[in-house]
Amino acid sequence: MAVKAFSSEWAEQFKDEVNASSVYKSAAKGWKWTVGLVVEAEPDKKFPESRGVVMDLFDGTARAITVGTAADAQKCDFVITAPYTRWKQVATKELDATKGMLQGKLKLKGDLPTIVRYTKASQEMTECTTRVPVEWPDEN
Amino acid sequence: MHDAGPGRVARRKLATAKGDSTPPPGPLRGPTSPASGEVKKPVAYADPEPSAFASMLGGLIDANIETSRAKHRDFDELDASVGIWVTDIDEGVTLEFQRGTLVVHNGLTPKRDITIRAEADTVMSLSNLKIGMFGMPVYYDEVGRGVALKLVRGRLRIDGMLGNIATVNTVTRIFSVR
Repeated sequence: MAVKAFSSEWAEQFKDEVNASSVYKSAAKGWKWTVGLVVEAEPDKKFPESRGVVMDLFDGTARAITVGTAADAQKCDFVITAPYTRWKQVATKELDATKGMLQGKLKLKGDLPTIVRYTKASQEMTECTTRVPVEWPDEN
Repeated sequence: MHDAGPGRVARRKLATAKGDSTPPPGPLRGPTSPASGEVKKPVAYADPEPSAFASMLGGLIDANIETSRAKHRDFDELDASVGIWVTDIDEGVTLEFQRGTLVVHNGLTPKRDITIRAEADTVMSLSNLKIGMFGMPVYYDEVGRGVALKLVRGRLRIDGMLGNIATVNTVTRIFSVR
């Protein structure tokens, strides 16, 4: 069943997808940092307030993924920021996250060598988001 | 596939290598004159608004040489102009290594020694190549095999490689996070 985009239910399903992925488990071995996704508000897309997704990832597993404020996500070790529409493009496979970062469509804050070392893990994590059926606010 | 000028740039201001947001006039904003007494930063950006790709590569190299003495040694010895063109986003940079300093240009500038052309994924794989014996990139593990295969299939092109093998290897070492 589809869940509302960037809601707590979405976060729970996203976590389940990550933990079900053997590719992620092996690619993210050794990862021990938190990752925050800042989803910037776009009121004209019926996404009126920015949200933050906080991911507690450790050694190939997602210990917790929660949705809170943008400020919560900004406290993480790695922060990726983009407007709602960009994240929707990533989740619907319209935009490749790696390309998005190289183009500055997704803004990354954090230690670059570390994130580059775990490119495969971050690509698989993006794949996991695409497996969660989502109800997009601007499509209702 | 084509060469490009500065091309598109990110619509954001980026701190200069010196850390200030109001760059002095002139093409180079990073390294400072020894006479000024300021600490000389190794990586600088030629354009007032470096593209996201330029700042990523510059930042990556900066971090690599800061944490590895071997990479720093390579950086201090390298004198070459290296273009990197990402074929699936139509963006590129030129890395102008000048023995201990690097100037990152948006787009491809003329007179490059080597030019690497590949898709975004492959560029990321290049920076994930392991460095093995005698400082040679490792092409027999999963990442290395993937890169070698793309080279064979023409999905990774390195113009100017013949005659510049040593430069290619040095750049790979500096670029690699491994």
